Amino acid sequence: MPDSKLDLLQGTLDLMVLQTLDVLGPLHGYGIARRIEQLSGNEVLLNQGTIYASLVRLQQRRWIAAEWGVSDNNRKAKFYSITKAGKRQMKEDQTQWERLVAVITRVLAASGERG
Amino acid sequence: MRQVWIRFLSLFKKRDLDREFDDEADSHIALVTEDYVQGGMPLVEAQRMARVRFGSIESSKDAHRDSRGLPWLEGLFYDLRFALRRLRHDRAFALTAIVTLALAIGLNVTVFAVMNTMLFRGFPLVQRNDRLVYIQEQYPSGTGNITYLDFEDWRAQAHSFEGMAFVGEKNISLSYGEGRSLDASAFTVSTNVFGLLRVKPTLGRDFVPADEASGAAPVVILNHRFWESQFGGRQDVVGTFVLVNKAPATVIGVMPEGFDFPTQFDVWMPYMRGPEVNQRIPEAFLAVGRLRDGANLQEARAELETINHRLEAAYPATNRGVVPSLATYSQSFIGPDAPVIYGSLWVAAWFVLLIACANLANLTVARTVGRWRDFSIRIALGAGRGRMMRQIFVESLTLTSVAAVLGWWITKWGVRTWAVETASIYQILDYTLDSGTLAYLVAISLASAILFSLAPMGRVLQIGVNSALKSEAPGVTPGVRGKRLAAVLVAGQMALAIVLLSGAGVLVRSLMNIVSADTGVGDPEHVLVGLLSFPSEKFPSLAATLGYVDRFEATVRAIPGIVDESVASNIPVNFGTQRAFEIEGRPNPREGGEAVQFLRVGPDYFRVVEAPAISGRDFNDGDRTATLPVAIVNQSFAARYWPREQPLGKRLRYIDRKKPAEWLTVVGVVPNIMQGDATRRQFKPLVYLPFRQASTVLGVNFLLRTGVPPGQVAQAVRAEIQKLDPDVVLKKFTTLKASFGFDPNRMDRGHSEMGKYAAVAPIFAVMALLLAAVGLYAVIAHSVSQRTKEIGVRIAIGAAAEDIRRMVLRDGMWPVAIGMILGLAASLGVNRILQSQLVGVPPDDPITMACAPVVLILVALLACQIPARRAMRVDPVMTLRHD
Repeated sequence: MPDSKLDLLQGTLDLMVLQTLDVLGPLHGYGIARRIEQLSGNEVLLNQGTIYASLVRLQQRRWIAAEWGVSDNNRKAKFYSITKAGKRQMKEDQTQWERLVAVITRVLAASGERG
Repeated sequence: MRQVWIRFLSLFKKRDLDREFDDEADSHIALVTEDYVQGGMPLVEAQRMARVRFGSIESSKDAHRDSRGLPWLEGLFYDLRFALRRLRHDRAFALTAIVTLALAIGLNVTVFAVMNTMLFRGFPLVQRNDRLVYIQEQYPSGTGNITYLDFEDWRAQAHSFEGMAFVGEKNISLSYGEGRSLDASAFTVSTNVFGLLRVKPTLGRDFVPADEASGAAPVVILNHRFWESQFGGRQDVVGTFVLVNKAPATVIGVMPEGFDFPTQFDVWMPYMRGPEVNQRIPEAFLAVGRLRDGANLQEARAELETINHRLEAAYPATNRGVVPSLATYSQSFIGPDAPVIYGSLWVAAWFVLLIACANLANLTVARTVGRWRDFSIRIALGAGRGRMMRQIFVESLTLTSVAAVLGWWITKWGVRTWAVETASIYQILDYTLDSGTLAYLVAISLASAILFSLAPMGRVLQIGVNSALKSEAPGVTPGVRGKRLAAVLVAGQMALAIVLLSGAGVLVRSLMNIVSADTGVGDPEHVLVGLLSFPSEKFPSLAATLGYVDRFEATVRAIPGIVDESVASNIPVNFGTQRAFEIEGRPNPREGGEAVQFLRVGPDYFRVVEAPAISGRDFNDGDRTATLPVAIVNQSFAARYWPREQPLGKRLRYIDRKKPAEWLTVVGVVPNIMQGDATRRQFKPLVYLPFRQASTVLGVNFLLRTGVPPGQVAQAVRAEIQKLDPDVVLKKFTTLKASFGFDPNRMDRGHSEMGKYAAVAPIFAVMALLLAAVGLYAVIAHSVSQRTKEIGVRIAIGAAAEDIRRMVLRDGMWPVAIGMILGLAASLGVNRILQSQLVGVPPDDPITMACAPVVLILVALLACQIPARRAMRVDPVMTLRHD
């Protein structure tokens, strides 16, 4: 049921990618996609290919760096890691996100009371 | 910013980046496959699942491209390529559009550049022209000049100015080394003048204050042009001696190329204060002041007026009624009506551009009609309308860019042509095309692209999927909406065209009124005129000049074909010398007396111009220096000053501040001859004096009445003058009739630009008319071609060819009629703005207002006639069989 997947803002996926790289260290695209699928219970990614648009965007902003390497089972893959600037950005986005969630929650709760 | 740059660069590494993405996607799928295989899935199934999990590779690749590059820019490239391809296919359209636009843009930018020069620029090379103010004094007698002492008082007392410089003029003879002396014109200036203008000599030094101290060694600075022509551009000229009026002076500098101030003269020298300077006698040309920061023209004017009031009280004999007049460059050198003239020309150029844009809008709509189905299908399939609008706009922009480049060339050519055709030694103008002009060109090109894309883009917004698919089917007569837009545009074009036509009409009629005015001269076609000028070295005295005149008169009278001959200080229509005068036994009506024009004429003058004396006598050979000083007045003078008296025997004289002038006895009254009225509306009071009673003669004008066509004797006259004395220069040799043609140098300040205006206005009107006609033609031709099938059906069911023609004409002409009525109404108002430039014609001149619509209708009928004929020839069988 693809329609029910969360229609995510561009920045939200970016934030998840940064968070993943921060926690797990260097990862290839598939690794990142798999991790996000696991954590979100298949709610976020429509399909795994979508992740690459986000990766190239983050790379251009120099929040992540990329390098070709070899995977655990000896396959050539491109590995991404978070940069200093990326970490700074992640902190900022996290705070921002938490504030947004808090506000939305309050608003929803308020309208719930009246209803 | 860096982001954008990286994205921009990525557009050029497209292939590499795509390959890298492909590699990454491959490796991703391989990794997923491996996971599945490890989980026990068969390889083929695992590969399929991996691809499913990854999703569409192509759409991921698209997303990848979009986020790494600049998708809009990339799209723009595609649109551009598409536009170029489409334009290459439709060369006729592209050519028409580009030529139309280039002409309209070129014309507009040319006018803008000229207007900028006329209104806002100033002298070339001078810094901060906008802060300079040009000052003269107006005397009660109507003359304008300034007094050195008044200037000194201003300079000492006025606070609105950073500095003020004085400019007088002088004719000098100048010789250099062993060379012959040549006559040159000099400005006598206060030594701060170049500093004030912020222009430095290109060679040598500027004047310093010591150069104008009394007893200082005389120095001169050369004009670049004069330096090149007379000194061969020699670098070592600085420091050498020249003789100025036989007195040695040192050349201390040469001004930069292209620098003239305030008119085209040869040298500048310091103004030396002679004894006469203590008398407050007006003598100089003008003063120039640079406003202090924060001061404006009004304050400066008020300040100088206050100073002049004080001077009036202190020196009533010389300064009563003397008012300072302050003007900007444009007011002073171009004329007070320059903003009206050049502003309205600019508006006219915009009219032409708008007409051109309307044409293009119509053409573009017509072209997009062919794509309606394509568009509707794309919209039905979910394409964004924005994308289609962008495509249209990119195509317009492509056309405009080419047109803009051509327009720039047209501008260069146009401005140069204008500069050459209208050059005058009294106007120093800076026509350089600068970055501002270029920016204006870019801006109006962009504006026109937007303007003419609006209509077709609006149509895209209106496309309804179903209706478009249905109604734009080939062969079906299109709906009303498209036709209405075209009609509105045509009506607008016609309205603009008729405003320009009637404006140009009244201006041309004004010019004709001036050129063909009654001058009082009989048969001027058979009078040859010319100006003789005498090099001062060879003709140092009045006697020498008059001696030459005697020999000249005897010689030309002997030429066969010449009936009569005379000389004069000026020829009819030109300006005579304005002098204040008084009549014996009559108190002066005003302080300083009234001024009229005085002309020196030889015997037989009134026979040559065919205006024989009404009463009294003509001048004769007996009126010479030693005999009784006499005068002849014209009817206008007699009527004004002796309305019920006999003028003969009355006496009048100049008012001379230095010494009382001799009384002149009136011996004759002659008919009116036009003299010194710029617009040639009225005969002014004139006093004629005998040529040989003059105390100085600057140049001699001769008038020869011929009994044969003047062309037959002109060569003989020229040859005799050459034979008589090769050093005497003959100028302005033409017939009297031809000399009555328009000459801006002879006009008053208010009308000096009027001739140029009247000469170029018809160009605008004709361009507007032609463009509007082409537009109308295109609209009607397009509508006929769209309706071929309908017309075929009409003919098939019995419509006569005449009916079809009438139908097409009616379709074409009703928007013309509406536009015409609107335009006529508008031009009644618009022409009022031109009032100041109109001579002998009311702004709502009935002849112009009647002719303009007739011309418009004839041209419009012609434009409709061609497609109408095509419609009449439609073969019903062919059209019905078509498809």
